[in-house]
Amino acid sequence: MIRTVARTFACFALLALSTTTLMAQQEADFMRSMGKMYVVVAVIAILFIGMVLYLYSLDRKLTKLENQISHHDEAETTH
Amino acid sequence: MSLWSEIWFLLGKEVKLEWRQRHALSGILLYVLSTVFIVFISFQQISPQLWNVLFWIIMLFASINAVVKSFVQESGNRQLYYYQLANPLAILLSKTLYNILLLLLLGGLNAAALLLVAGNPLEDPGLFVLAVVLGSIGFSVTFTFIAAIAAKTSNSSTMMTILGFPVIIPVLLVLVNLSAHSIGLLQGSMIRDDIIMLAGIDLLLLGLGLVLFPMLWRE
Amino acid sequence: MKKNWWKILGPLLVLYSFGMGLLTPLKTGISDIRPQFISAGDTVKMEVTGYNSFYKAAEGQLRAWLKLDQEHALAAQAIEVKDDRHLVLHFVLPPHLPQDADQADASLLIDSPVDGAHVYPGGIRISQKKTNVAPGSGAAWNAPIEKLHEKDAITFPFRNILGETIRNTYYHVPMWFAMFLLFIGALVHSINFLRRKDLKNDRWAAALTTTGLVFGAMGLATGAMWATYTWGEPWSGDVKQNMTAIGLLIYGAYFVLRFAIEDPERKARISAVYNIFAFSTLIPLLYVIPKLTDSLHPGAGGNIAFGSEDLDNTMRLVFYPAIIGWTLIGLWASQLLYRMNTLREKLLWGH
Repeated sequence: MIRTVARTFACFALLALSTTTLMAQQEADFMRSMGKMYVVVAVIAILFIGMVLYLYSLDRKLTKLENQISHHDEAETTH
Repeated sequence: MSLWSEIWFLLGKEVKLEWRQRHALSGILLYVLSTVFIVFISFQQISPQLWNVLFWIIMLFASINAVVKSFVQESGNRQLYYYQLANPLAILLSKTLYNILLLLLLGGLNAAALLLVAGNPLEDPGLFVLAVVLGSIGFSVTFTFIAAIAAKTSNSSTMMTILGFPVIIPVLLVLVNLSAHSIGLLQGSMIRDDIIMLAGIDLLLLGLGLVLFPMLWRE
Repeated sequence: MKKNWWKILGPLLVLYSFGMGLLTPLKTGISDIRPQFISAGDTVKMEVTGYNSFYKAAEGQLRAWLKLDQEHALAAQAIEVKDDRHLVLHFVLPPHLPQDADQADASLLIDSPVDGAHVYPGGIRISQKKTNVAPGSGAAWNAPIEKLHEKDAITFPFRNILGETIRNTYYHVPMWFAMFLLFIGALVHSINFLRRKDLKNDRWAAALTTTGLVFGAMGLATGAMWATYTWGEPWSGDVKQNMTAIGLLIYGAYFVLRFAIEDPERKARISAVYNIFAFSTLIPLLYVIPKLTDSLHPGAGGNIAFGSEDLDNTMRLVFYPAIIGWTLIGLWASQLLYRMNTLREKLLWGH
C-alpha cells in the first residue's frame, strides 16, 4: 500500500510541477484566456487523472490477489 | 504504593540513572551549545525574527534527541520488571515529568547561549519564559508518548523523527507565534488566547496520553 | 441495490456539481479600466472592458458613477458604447476632492437595465495637487446613485482576479472537506478498534486513511494549479495549504508505522493509538485558522481570504452537494479497499 501511496504522490507532484511551471511560462496567455476558464478545465482534468490513478492502483492490487488465489488453488489440487 | 509515590520513586530512579551515566546528558547539552555556535558562525548577524525561529528549531531537534531514549533504553528484563510491578500511568507520568525537567534545562541553556552570542531581542522576558515552559511541557508530553510508540518498532530513532515531526508542527506554530509576541515582532491582544490554547493543548495531549498509554504498554 | 443507494447518490451529486458549476454564467463584471490613475480637475476619457456584458443592447440607458464613499459620487457626463464588451466613459472631475488628502481611491459603478449594476471595486486612484482646500469644495461630488437595476438570473459572482476560476470552488475545495471527513471516519474506527479489538475496524481505518490521502493529494495538486493563476505562485503558505500538507505528513507517517510492525494485532493497536494522538494535535491548527488567516493576509480581502462573504447562496447550492458527493465517492473507494483487504487477510490467515 505504501508503495502505491508514494507512487501516487510522486505522480501528483510531477504533474502539478510540470503543468504549472510549463504552462505558466509558455502558455500563460492560453491559460488566462476566456476569463481563466482553462484553469477550471485543468483542475477537472487533475481530478480525472487522480481517479484513474486510484483505479489503476486498485487494479494492480486485485491482480496480485488473483494470483495469490490461483496459487492457493493449485496448491490445493496438487495435494 | 499510591500513584504519587510510585511516580516520585520512578522519577528519582530516572534522575539517578541519568546522573550515573552522565555522558548522555552532557552529550545533549554539548549538542545544543555546538548548534548555537554553528548557527552563530554561519549567520554572524541574527535578526530578532531569525533569533525566534532558530531558538525553536534548535529546541525541537535537541528535545527529539533527548526524549527518544526514554523508552528505547528500557528493553528486556527491565521492561518485564516494570510490567509486573508498576502502574503504566506512573511510568508515563514519571518519564514525562523527567523529560519536562530535561527540556527546561535545555531551553534555559539554549536561550542563554543564544543571548550570549546573538544579543538580546527580548522585550518581554516573562512572556518568553512562559513560552519556554509551556513549550517544554508540550514537547515532552508529545515526544514521550511518540517515543513509547516508536519503541515498539524495530527502527525506533528513525521512527521517532518520522512520527514526531508532523505531530509537533501545530504546537510549534503556536509557540513561535507566542514567543514572537515576547520579542515584539507581533502586536495585538491575542497573547492570552495563545497561552490558554497552549495550556489547553498540553492538557489535552497529556490526557490522551494517559488514556491511550495503557493500551500501548500492556502486550 | 437498496443497501447501496449512496453509491449512486455520490456520483449523481458530483455530476450535478459539474453540470451546474460549469453551465451557470458569471455575473456581469468589469475586468479592466484605463487609465486607473487620474487627477482632480481633469477631463478623463475612461476605457472600460466589461465581462459577460451586453452594452449594445443597453445603449442609451447606461449610467456610470465614480464612487468615493457612501455620500460622494460623480456621474459620467457621456457614455459611448463601442461594442458589447467596451465602453468609453467621459468624466469631468471637479478641481477638488471632498477629502483633504493627497489622493483617494474610487470605485466605478455601472448600471445597465440588461446586465444589472456592476462594480469595479476600489481600483481607481484620484490624486489632487493642492491639499489645503476650503471646506465644502467637494460639493460637486453629489450625484445621487439610485434606481439601480438587478438582473434576476441564476449566476455566480464575478471577481476580478478569479474570473471563471471561481467555479473551482466546487472542484477543489470539496477535496479538502472530503479528506477531512474521511480522516474523521478513520479516527472513529481507530477508537472503536481500541474498544472492541476487532480487526475489521483497523482495516476500515487504513482504507479510509488511504482514500483520504488520495483526496488530499488531489486537493494539493488542484490547489497548486488554481493558485498559480490567481495568487501568482503554486505555494503561498495559506493556512489550508499548510494544514493539508501537515495532514498528509501525519498520515504518511501512519503508513510508515504500519509497515514497521509485522504482527497484525499489534500493528492495529499501535497504529490506532498513533492515529488518535496525531489527529488531536490538528485541533490547535483548526482553532488557529481564523487568526493566522488575518495575520498572513492583512487587509487583503476578496480574492485571497475565502470567507463567508465569498460564498453566496447560488454557490452554496452547488458547493454543499459537491462536498457530500465527493465524500460519498471517497467512502465507496474506501469500501472497495476494505473489502479487498478483508479477502486478502482471509486468504493469508484462513479465516
